[in-house]
Amino acid sequence: MPAPTVGQAPSLNTFLKSLKGTEIETSIELLISLLKRRQIKNSRPCAIATAKLLLQVVAEQRWRSAQDLIKRIRDVGRKLVAAQPREMAVGNIVRRVLGVVREVAEEDQDSTSNIAPESLPGSPAIVGQSLHRPALPSNISGFSPLSHGAALPQNVQTQPQSGTSSPSLDGSVDSPPRRPPMPNAGGSYAGAAPHTSLFGIFQHPQGASPIGTPPIGSGTASPIPKSKKDQEEQKEKLDIKAEVIDGIKDLLEELDIVDKQIAESALDHIHSNEIILTHTSSQTVQAFLTAAARKRKFTVIHVEAYPNDHESTHSTIVNGGQKTGDDAEGDERWKPLTAMGIKVIVIPDSAVFALMSRMNKVILAPHTVLANGSLIAAAGASTIAQAAKVHHVPVVVLSGVYKLSPVYPFDTDEMIEYGDPGKVIPYQDGEFMDKVDVVNPVYDFVDAELVDLYITNLGGHAPSYLYRIVADHYRTEDIDLTSKT
Amino acid sequence: MPPKGKKGGGGAKDKKGGEDERQEPLQAVVLCDSFETRFNPFTLERPRCLLPLANTPLIEYTLEFLAGSGAEEVFLYCGNHTDTVEEYLQNSKWLSNTAPFSLEIIRSTSRSVGDCMRDLDQKGLIVGDFICVYGDVVANISLEGALAAHRASREKNKNAIMTMVLREAGENHRTKPTHMRPTFVIDQDTGRCVHYEQIRPGQSATLDVPGEVLKDHVDLDVREDLIDCGIDICTPNVLAQYTDNFDWQLPRRGFLYGILKDFETFQLTIHTHIVTEEYAARVKNLQAYDAISRDVVSRWTYPLTPDTNLVAGQTFQLHKGSVYREEGVVLARSSNVGRNCVLGKATSVGDHSNITNSVIGRRCVIGSRVKIDGAYIWDDARIGDDTVIEKAVIANEASIGKRCKVEQGALISYGAKVSDGTTISGDRRVTTLKRKRGYEKDEVVQVPADPKIVGEDGIGYHMQFDEDEEEEVAEALLVGMQNMDLTVDDISTFDSDEEDDEDDYEPSHARTGSTRSDSFASIDSEESGENKSSVQEFHREAVNSLFDDMKKGTDPDTMQLELKSMRLTANAEDKQVRRALAVAFNKRVANLIESGKSPKEAAETLFPTYNRLVKGCVSSDEEYEQAEFLMFIQTDLTHRAQGEKMMLFLSNALATNDLIEPDGFEKWWNDERSTASEQLVAIRKDTEQLVKVLCEDDEDDSEEEEDSDDE
Repeated sequence: MPAPTVGQAPSLNTFLKSLKGTEIETSIELLISLLKRRQIKNSRPCAIATAKLLLQVVAEQRWRSAQDLIKRIRDVGRKLVAAQPREMAVGNIVRRVLGVVREVAEEDQDSTSNIAPESLPGSPAIVGQSLHRPALPSNISGFSPLSHGAALPQNVQTQPQSGTSSPSLDGSVDSPPRRPPMPNAGGSYAGAAPHTSLFGIFQHPQGASPIGTPPIGSGTASPIPKSKKDQEEQKEKLDIKAEVIDGIKDLLEELDIVDKQIAESALDHIHSNEIILTHTSSQTVQAFLTAAARKRKFTVIHVEAYPNDHESTHSTIVNGGQKTGDDAEGDERWKPLTAMGIKVIVIPDSAVFALMSRMNKVILAPHTVLANGSLIAAAGASTIAQAAKVHHVPVVVLSGVYKLSPVYPFDTDEMIEYGDPGKVIPYQDGEFMDKVDVVNPVYDFVDAELVDLYITNLGGHAPSYLYRIVADHYRTEDIDLTSKT
Repeated sequence: MPPKGKKGGGGAKDKKGGEDERQEPLQAVVLCDSFETRFNPFTLERPRCLLPLANTPLIEYTLEFLAGSGAEEVFLYCGNHTDTVEEYLQNSKWLSNTAPFSLEIIRSTSRSVGDCMRDLDQKGLIVGDFICVYGDVVANISLEGALAAHRASREKNKNAIMTMVLREAGENHRTKPTHMRPTFVIDQDTGRCVHYEQIRPGQSATLDVPGEVLKDHVDLDVREDLIDCGIDICTPNVLAQYTDNFDWQLPRRGFLYGILKDFETFQLTIHTHIVTEEYAARVKNLQAYDAISRDVVSRWTYPLTPDTNLVAGQTFQLHKGSVYREEGVVLARSSNVGRNCVLGKATSVGDHSNITNSVIGRRCVIGSRVKIDGAYIWDDARIGDDTVIEKAVIANEASIGKRCKVEQGALISYGAKVSDGTTISGDRRVTTLKRKRGYEKDEVVQVPADPKIVGEDGIGYHMQFDEDEEEEVAEALLVGMQNMDLTVDDISTFDSDEEDDEDDYEPSHARTGSTRSDSFASIDSEESGENKSSVQEFHREAVNSLFDDMKKGTDPDTMQLELKSMRLTANAEDKQVRRALAVAFNKRVANLIESGKSPKEAAETLFPTYNRLVKGCVSSDEEYEQAEFLMFIQTDLTHRAQGEKMMLFLSNALATNDLIEPDGFEKWWNDERSTASEQLVAIRKDTEQLVKVLCEDDEDDSEEEEDSDDE
């Protein structure tokens, strides 16, 4: 096992570094314990870790058919979700990957005779295409709140069960061809397509455009064909694998550029001399504001999100975005807003209501967006949204599609994580902590009706429209990961 | 692949290149056995590190902490119960292929932490700096800072051999031990620990800081507000030091004392790293068990909370008001589970039962109208209807009948059964087993039930405290006995022999400080100075060793020799030896009386076997010494049952064996110190007759002599 620096606490970086050359099972366990210990937390690191791990899972040789792979990913996904059910990005990524696999399998089955269906995957995809899918497998009643899925009636999940009971090579039993074959790129990839070409120039100086390049994983995997295996089956499998790996890489690509895509619409929403209120140290919001700051002058009121996030909020304001550990180059998007001539005022959470009447707009970054358009965000977000409602200030939520979860909020209390009360009351204060129950909720629940607009990497949406995006990105059969298949 | 990944890969390669030059992997040593008996009776059957804290074995917290700190090689030292620990770990994730670090269980016959360290040194497993923790640490601190601090002080000074990680806690804190306060004197600039003492409440809070320390350091912090969580970052030199000093048993009172004392000679330094955020504590005793359980339940140890489900198969979920429930918990509709509770899988709670602030294990059956507040109930326990349980610990498979009352502080061990309608008072430790002291190995044997304690069909008896000669035995006994509610009353019912060997530490003295100073002032006055702690140390050791030898029936000559060597090592005065001997005699007699002998027989068994011992320290010519010896016996007897009887028979025995001359008795009798308090007067009341007779005889003799002289 590649060892981390002596005495270095494990984190996302050490995990990603250890991913290569480590047994896949060890990696899975490692990620589970990292999630449990909150050494990987927040949506984006969780999403990246999950996607990279699943990439390795797909790249391993063990699976025989698409059904096997689906089962395997579900197993891994279930474990990861159980480790930290409140980090819903983990489950989202697992579902997205499952969607990719299913699509590839269906497509493969559709074009049974010609095995090389689309050698140039995704490149001709248009933004609109993803929105024009006819099938809407949104079955809200099947959505499970967190891990309680096991307790819910599981009639919805009977479908995949029947599928795996007869593990035929093709997924015909599993998914009746309700959906027309899609290009193997994931739904959101299609949306991301036009941008990739744009940003690919900066992102891939070595010219390794994600489109059409042979996936790295397949490079290691493909040259080990087992001669005893049926040639055709082998070929089919390799194809599936290569395409799935491509799909996951597109997903990673999406995670990488999601901020830039969202920031593209900044100028449409932020106008000169506006006063904008924002909260926490979200990279997405920073990128968004920075994009607007290049052209316009406005004022930002930054709520510090005490006690869980105030330190990084302060450092974001002073130094620019947090460098997620890796030695990010002096990229422009990490410049602090103040360096661009924007006036930034930090206020405590308690002052939100008093100042709200002067705001022109509230920009929030969620932890997770739920299927009905409500969201979970850092503690304090609810106060802000309520205050904005009272003062009729529009609330704009910036969220990558990867944060969009098919979970329906039946019990909002359960989605809130409670953190270390030591951040509120010092542990040293023995008498106080002995006699008082101190709670420190990490997240707040914000109801859909308090939000005016969602901006995702696909564009702007009304909260009521999110169900549709959910339907586009997740398969019904994958919504409940906890069901045993 | 986005460039990020590429960069990550590149980074990994760079790192690998660097790793070859970089030194060793981060190693950690876990001491699973703390060689103490503070958790008796529970640790008779199970090692301490497997006791459940909020339904998760303690060792899981420790290993999770190490994994979270990036440890790569872990060595686990077990003493007792090695098989149990090994079996547990074999089935856990820590010994599977996917474990985050390599774990090696080392079997050893060590009898103390010092032995473990020496053994480790011999085995040569440690290659570089390592973390040394106990198997009962609950912590979520990141060690990065501490390791960096350790390296920094290493770079500055090659002789910095250890960094202790200490958690700041305020003046009063539930997680801090109440019976013993470690006090660190720390140099402000370097963070070096220059002096360490353990202060007991009730003692005069004077520190004996050596003059050189005061001369060498300008700014000193005297910190008493720190939780010593037993996390040390050590260099291999620490092991070498243990090997060089084979008498060091404990990391604090042995090692730390030793290193600080020999600073002039070896120039070795020990540093401290004080943590002000996050959590670190050790489940040292039952008081800490209670405090840390509450910390875990109220999430101070986040993310190591029950709903993290550290152990595979756990399914805890957090509900409102810090209530954690696993799957399959059955709660009657009319039952009420209040704040800060943990309920394990498949536990059922009957109608109208009320549970608050409690931790309840798996598969427990709790009847109707039961009231539980602040209790710790482990797996598979059964609680009958209408029972009331206060802050108590009820271990696995214990069964409490209907209409029982388990009072605050009671401990009910594995498999014990309390029949209907019984009240278990707070000072009881009900268990079914007993440790039998053997020469090589202690055995655990079954003990018949005591119906007085557990009722007619109950199983179990009240366990008296077993004696142990470990360093911190005093602490062990005083566990949670003071301010803490858990086992609050135990002190009063400890069998007397235990209570007494700690004269100076005994809380009752602390509470009645004034009486103590009255009765002891004249005798102890010289001790109160600088060498007080060493005097106590000697006293305690000597009493324990003498008492044990008497129990085993060791040859008096050998005992004499031992006593002498002990005296020389501690540089103790004759007076202290006398005192130790007096106390040891009393203890032995009390012990014999308890085992059913009459005070007379008991007193007589000691003599003439141990004549030698008495002669060795009480000269037959010195009235003063004899009187003093009697005084010590008398003072010690004030808090023993049947003290006055014992005084009488001991005096008688001493007189008949010519160990103490009538003159000595007279001197004692007339000494005003022997009547200084009412208790003392009460003790000597019965002896009055004897003294009179003796003195008269004496007078007669002398008169006769005089007469004859005259003639």
